[in-house]
Amino acid sequence: MSTTRAGIRWIRADLRARKGQATLTVLVVAGIVAALIAAVTLLEDGTNPWRGLFAQTEGAHVWFYTKDNTAQLVATGQIDGVTSVAGPYRSAPVTVVQDGKKEPAALRALPAAPPRVAHPVVTEGRWLDTAEPGGVVVERSYARALRLRIGAPFTIIALSGERHSLYVRGIADSAEQGFYPEWTPGLAWVLPETLDRVEPMLGRSQWVTGLRLTDAESAQVVSQRVVVMLDDELQRLYTWREIRAAMELDNRLLGTLLALFGVVGLIAAALALANAAGGRVLGQLRDLATLKSMGFTKGQIALLLLVEHGALGLLGIALGTLAGWGGTVAVLGTTSVAPMPVLAILAGTALVVLAAVGLPAWRGGRTPPIPAAPALPPRGHLSRLARLALLVRLPPALVLGTRDAFTRRVPAFLTAFGLAVPMMMITIGLGVWATLDNFAGHPEQVGQHAALHVGPGKLTAAEAERHIRADRDVRAFYPGTDVNALAPGEGRSVRVRAIGGSAEPYPFPVVEGRQYAEPGEAVAGQGLLDLLGVKIGDRVRLTVGGSPLIVRIVGRAIEPDSDGEVLSVGLDSLAAKDTVPPEFYALALKPGADPAEVAARLLTESGESLDVQIVVNPADRLAVIRVVIVALIAVLTLIGLANLLTASALGLRDHAVDLAVLKAMGLTPRQVMATLVTGTGLLVVLGVAAGTAAGASVVTGLIDLQGHTSGVGAGIARPPSAMTLAVAVLVAVGTALAVALIPARRAARAQVPVTSR
Amino acid sequence: MSDPALKAVNLVKVYSGGAVPVHAVRGVDLQVEPGEFVAVMGPSGSGKSTLVHMLGGLDTRTSGEIWVGGTRADTLSESAWALLRRKKIGFVFQFFNLVASMTVADNVELPALLGGASPREARERREHLLGALNLTDRADASPARLSGGEQQRVALARALANKPSVLLADEPTGNLDSRNTRDVLRLLGEVHRDGQTIVMVTHDARVAGLADRVVALFDGEVVDDGRITRRRTGTAGAVIDLR
Amino acid sequence: MRLHLLALLAKEPAHGYELKQALEQTFGGAYPSPNIGQIYVTLGRLEKDGLVRAVDVEQSNRPNKKVYYCTAKGRDVLTLWADEPTEGPRVRDEFFMKLVLAPLTGIADRMALINRQRRHYLSLMGDLNDLQARTAPDDRVALLLIEGAMLHLQADLDWLERCQEDLA
Repeated sequence: MSTTRAGIRWIRADLRARKGQATLTVLVVAGIVAALIAAVTLLEDGTNPWRGLFAQTEGAHVWFYTKDNTAQLVATGQIDGVTSVAGPYRSAPVTVVQDGKKEPAALRALPAAPPRVAHPVVTEGRWLDTAEPGGVVVERSYARALRLRIGAPFTIIALSGERHSLYVRGIADSAEQGFYPEWTPGLAWVLPETLDRVEPMLGRSQWVTGLRLTDAESAQVVSQRVVVMLDDELQRLYTWREIRAAMELDNRLLGTLLALFGVVGLIAAALALANAAGGRVLGQLRDLATLKSMGFTKGQIALLLLVEHGALGLLGIALGTLAGWGGTVAVLGTTSVAPMPVLAILAGTALVVLAAVGLPAWRGGRTPPIPAAPALPPRGHLSRLARLALLVRLPPALVLGTRDAFTRRVPAFLTAFGLAVPMMMITIGLGVWATLDNFAGHPEQVGQHAALHVGPGKLTAAEAERHIRADRDVRAFYPGTDVNALAPGEGRSVRVRAIGGSAEPYPFPVVEGRQYAEPGEAVAGQGLLDLLGVKIGDRVRLTVGGSPLIVRIVGRAIEPDSDGEVLSVGLDSLAAKDTVPPEFYALALKPGADPAEVAARLLTESGESLDVQIVVNPADRLAVIRVVIVALIAVLTLIGLANLLTASALGLRDHAVDLAVLKAMGLTPRQVMATLVTGTGLLVVLGVAAGTAAGASVVTGLIDLQGHTSGVGAGIARPPSAMTLAVAVLVAVGTALAVALIPARRAARAQVPVTSR
Repeated sequence: MSDPALKAVNLVKVYSGGAVPVHAVRGVDLQVEPGEFVAVMGPSGSGKSTLVHMLGGLDTRTSGEIWVGGTRADTLSESAWALLRRKKIGFVFQFFNLVASMTVADNVELPALLGGASPREARERREHLLGALNLTDRADASPARLSGGEQQRVALARALANKPSVLLADEPTGNLDSRNTRDVLRLLGEVHRDGQTIVMVTHDARVAGLADRVVALFDGEVVDDGRITRRRTGTAGAVIDLR
Repeated sequence: MRLHLLALLAKEPAHGYELKQALEQTFGGAYPSPNIGQIYVTLGRLEKDGLVRAVDVEQSNRPNKKVYYCTAKGRDVLTLWADEPTEGPRVRDEFFMKLVLAPLTGIADRMALINRQRRHYLSLMGDLNDLQARTAPDDRVALLLIEGAMLHLQADLDWLERCQEDLA
């Protein structure tokens, strides 16, 4: 009790004496914790919605689409491991018109009494009712993308071109497909009689069936049985894994990035903390000895230091938790933060913080209780570097500074290293930024040569082509069709994109192998190669609508869509029945043309008959990453600053005695200042240079690795430009010197007594 | 008869860190009665500081016994020594050693709080001490703003904050000019008159002149231990002989 | 004391008792209180040497008193006194002689001599401390005198230490 009171006095006084440094410590830890929490939330959140939705809706593990509703569909319920069957439900493709935009949707017929398995869960409004046949229930992500509210009109255009006006009766969650717009078309449910009215033609619709299994792991086996059983009937099949993957697509990338930054940042922060605490303890040895002579025990001193420095860390953790939590909810709009991983992060960070300050605290506790005369720095002889400085006849201040830089070797190393780590991370952050810039600036390098996708809509292919050809900003256009193909043995569908002709191929960014040049050749995304376990040069056999498609993969293209699980071929590789008329035209525009303008013009020219979509650049979807990078750079800068302050505080302490002597020797205040700044500046330059070099050497590798694992494929990474790096280095060094200058100036101006005190 | 305030029996200290072991203190016997003021003198390197540090538990003894107020202390652990210091021993050092980040008032209150006084008691004690030392108006200043003499007076107040049974001082005036020395001297004389037991290492004859007893150390051994007699004639002529 | 009295008389003529008072006032408690008889004896010698001269001053209902004043010769002597550098402290110390010579005869041990001397010096120092404590803080002449004595003692003690290191 008595020790507590005395200890608190001391801690309070000490903190008051170094407010700036203490605040910085808190901010650093807070920043790191916030980043980690945001990371884990994103990573967790990526998997959580599927898990939650699947449980809520008692979802089906396997979904497949067929042309007709046959007796065989019911028979799939007899497959081993299948507990129940959802559907078959009739589903028709429509286009939803909302605020002048047209968005694709699948209209699905469900009964007024929700089914037991895979039933959508209404979050707003009500479920379908036979008394209200005009009502429609919209899947939530689709409703959000279209800004639909309860009671809003829901205007759809059927394949026939006929318009129907329904209204939004409810909004519901479902686990049967991914979120819009990552997963298209969007999903909306109507009563069977409503669907009959909208799309009377059975031939223009499909049947969707879901299977709920006893064991999620058997999805693969069951899907293969379904493929065998339905054979030609089967049009498309996917399992819960694809749905889950689709739901976590973007967040996973962001989460990985944040986690990487967070973990490395944590190490850097731990280093900064240990450095700061260690430096402070070194500066306080006399005070600590005095406390001991007063009757503080070894353990109490260690505890005192641990509490003081640890408390700053813990305060940082608390602030970081609030910020991370609040920030994640505010910026990313997620509602739930998983408690377990967050607790794990908090506990982990707290441990790291305590471990980081534990060593200096322990060492402080072992201070001998005899307060010696003021501690003097080890008098190093001129370091090799300083001798070099002398040799090339640098001014005396620089030589002295160079000598000082390495007087204490371990702190010198820690300072340089402590600056190198944040600088490395900043370089990596700049690399990610440059990569995003490249996405946005050169969409053709990430497989988005075309800025617009135009569907013929109500027009014939010839009419559509005429409109496209007439537009002055269209440089080239490529007819294309997306089909679903079943991969043998995989038990799931992959996307086959037929676009352009073998003679006039769509300019995919092929990073390995070559472009397809004749029918029967294809390029694939990394995701597809991984999925099928094939490599360039291999032949793959797929089934498209019952007919076999055998192609040889001749190259790998950057593929930002569908996790890279896309096979791209020329239109002439597919059977004519699948490609005529083409489903869409991919339009490459002339340089400088505004896609939105061209889209508007095409719509007007065609009298709203064409179906025009602007391609979404992945950089736009990943825009939030830029915010994150800026925030991280800020945190990393704080870490660097914390290290720097420690270094210059230690340097000043070492020089308190020297300064008077230097002045007596005839150094002007300016030279004294230059000496001090050189001492820290040299370490800064070393650290920053090493960090930048390290960052630049790993950045492309890291981003490509991320690209590879996410299916997009290696080859997207762009290192930050030399200009950016040079500016970053200059800014870092400049800031560091400016920061080092303030205490140096004060010290140089101050009247320093010659006697030791 | 009551226990001696401090007792050392055949105290030995050998520093064995270097190539050759250094015998800093070789078998010192010392007994300090309550209320006594003992000056420890001797040339530098004679082991004076080491002796006082050992008596206060700041340094470990190599062999021998130390008794503080009737309890044996040399066998105590470092932590137990610390607890003992809180209650029984006040230290004054040559370089004042005030905690730089704390105000004068906090510096003086710290040991009182550590000794178990309530914040109010500590404050009252501090006010009393600073008042007696003529430092009341400096209570909120930072030690760095004080002159050397003022700092040493604060250090003395701090050492006395706990009403220690023994005040150990290591060259308390070694770093002061003569005017400041006079201030500190007067204070030491006063606290001694109030019954404070003091053991002080000093080089300063003026300070030693205050003591009741002088212990001369030479090469780690006690070469003289005796009372300093006072003539107390009261007339100046007897003291200053005008030739 | 001759020259001290002469100096006081050079300031202004005075009779014996006034001189005693002037000495006490100037040097305060630090100066041993002079004996009035000794003052008259000293004045007589000064008069004999022609450095001062005395005149009788009549007083009502009291015996005449002798008032002394400084002569021109007295002034010359004073000027000479002030101009000469004053001799430093004795170099040939009596104790040092003892310390060197006594052990040769076997009648005393050096360490014992040093210890006894140290105690003696310290006890002197204690007395000076007491005196200093009793002296009014505004009596600067007296305090300086005491401080001077203390510093001499300190030097003696330091020298004692050197003797101990080198001889014992």
